[in-house]
Amino acid sequence: MASTTELASSFIEGAPPGELADVVADVKALTSDGPDIIPSLAPAFERYNETQLTTVKLPGASQEVLISEYNKLEGNRYFDVESQTSFEVDHVTQEASAAQSYVLESQNADLIKSLLKSLSAHATEHYRTCSYGVYPIEDDTAVAIVLVANRYSPNNFWNGRFRAIYTLPVNSSSTTISGQIKVDVHYYEDGNVALNTNKPVNLSVPSVDASSIISRIAAAERDYQEELNRAFVSTAEGVFKGLRRQLPITRQKVEWEKVGGYRLGQDIAGGR
Amino acid sequence: MADAQFDSALDLLRRLNPRDTKQNLQAITSIVPDLTEDLLSSVDQPLEIRKCPKTDRDYLLCDYNRDGDSYRSPWSNEFDPPLEDGTVPSERVRKLEVAANEAFDVYRELYYEGGVGSVYFWDLDDGFAGVILLKKGERVLSCYFRLAIQANILFCIGVTPGAKSSGEWDSIHVFEATDRARMSHYKLTSTVILHLANESESLGEMDLSGNMTRQVEVDLPVESDASDVANVGRLVEDMELKMRNLLQEVYFGKAKDVVGELRSLPSLSESNRDRATHLEMIRSMHS
Repeated sequence: MASTTELASSFIEGAPPGELADVVADVKALTSDGPDIIPSLAPAFERYNETQLTTVKLPGASQEVLISEYNKLEGNRYFDVESQTSFEVDHVTQEASAAQSYVLESQNADLIKSLLKSLSAHATEHYRTCSYGVYPIEDDTAVAIVLVANRYSPNNFWNGRFRAIYTLPVNSSSTTISGQIKVDVHYYEDGNVALNTNKPVNLSVPSVDASSIISRIAAAERDYQEELNRAFVSTAEGVFKGLRRQLPITRQKVEWEKVGGYRLGQDIAGGR
Repeated sequence: MADAQFDSALDLLRRLNPRDTKQNLQAITSIVPDLTEDLLSSVDQPLEIRKCPKTDRDYLLCDYNRDGDSYRSPWSNEFDPPLEDGTVPSERVRKLEVAANEAFDVYRELYYEGGVGSVYFWDLDDGFAGVILLKKGERVLSCYFRLAIQANILFCIGVTPGAKSSGEWDSIHVFEATDRARMSHYKLTSTVILHLANESESLGEMDLSGNMTRQVEVDLPVESDASDVANVGRLVEDMELKMRNLLQEVYFGKAKDVVGELRSLPSLSESNRDRATHLEMIRSMHS
């Protein structure tokens, strides 16, 4: 049987967008150790933060930067290319501290900076609030492009997260971008409704050029959002309608006095 | 402490993925075994189907037709596996239960055109109570074609091979009917669990799952036992219509809107420019 720590870890990693603190409060209330269980859950918090692309405020700055497996340094330190900063993250509190200047050392530094510039322009056009980053990966032979957009509206009982992660090798002239787009929406007024999507992306680009890479990505994201919007309509018109009709085919509500009523009415009367 | 833990458990289940309620419920009760009984009776899960050995008809399982490890079939009124002294409704309430099962069978055919239903009633000191269960599943496995008509010729402009679509609907309506003079007071709590999934090459995976709960209380005139069944029928019918509309709004309207909040399809600078132009026009009309 799974241990309390394993079960509580699965709750932490399953927290919906913007509701980690609520899940943590519930976990503390449910476990006999109370708050003392938290240190044993540190690995779960770290996995949550890296897969959910948690954003943290840099000390003394207003901008939020994301953390992921791609911008991880030693220990709990991560780096951000745009602000040329590295920082330490407390995975439980999701706070950054001990910021230091960080200079990117990569043979692809120029490409990374151009990608950031194009990505920034793309992000401003389509995301009201988001954080993003471009990082060298796989021993500097490839690049990861990562973007996260969150909208939290707990007063209206909904929260949402859009994540996109793309990687591309940069050792040849043409290249293939592969990645994933994930959208998670949680609605919980008098209920619990979740939208979870996962769309694998594979795009080939003729040259390793920042603006053409980002415009291919932008087009793929647009196509996906349009496809998702169509899926809402086709699901409503298809499977949903097939499950339960809004009205019977006769367009009449049930005549409850008549359905099986006569015979049974007599039955009941006779039985008294 | 136990009450606070119960509330935390419910809060947690309201936040974690509704697709995984069963596993999460097991996880919570293995951490806090004392909560098992209370949680099992207050957390709704997708209904399981069993075949009645006596009548060969399918029926649905829930906490209300369970006695120990046995379940009572609404068709035979017998427990499976058999129980010597399983709790069954009084003769009068069983007759109401039989009538309600017949009536909701008609209802199920009219609205669900298939699926499985079961109604269970039990006695109260000053009336009776019951649960109406309805379940329907849909699975569409297809190549779907996108068609276009041009100059009266039908074109197939795209094929999505291996597109899969599935859905599962579970309705759980629990009510109490308490006797008043020539009236009955009805209290109805309804939960619908709706799971939908889509998968195709162009869409990837899309999962829309969840549950919603609503309550209503009302006094209605009662002339005979038959009108009790009709009253409950109308209450459930109205509630399901309301909830179907609500689910449609949340699953396909709200969820889509939030995706649009996260990512704007039109360029934001263009929409901001349009808005500014629009404001400028209004201003110039008033000056």
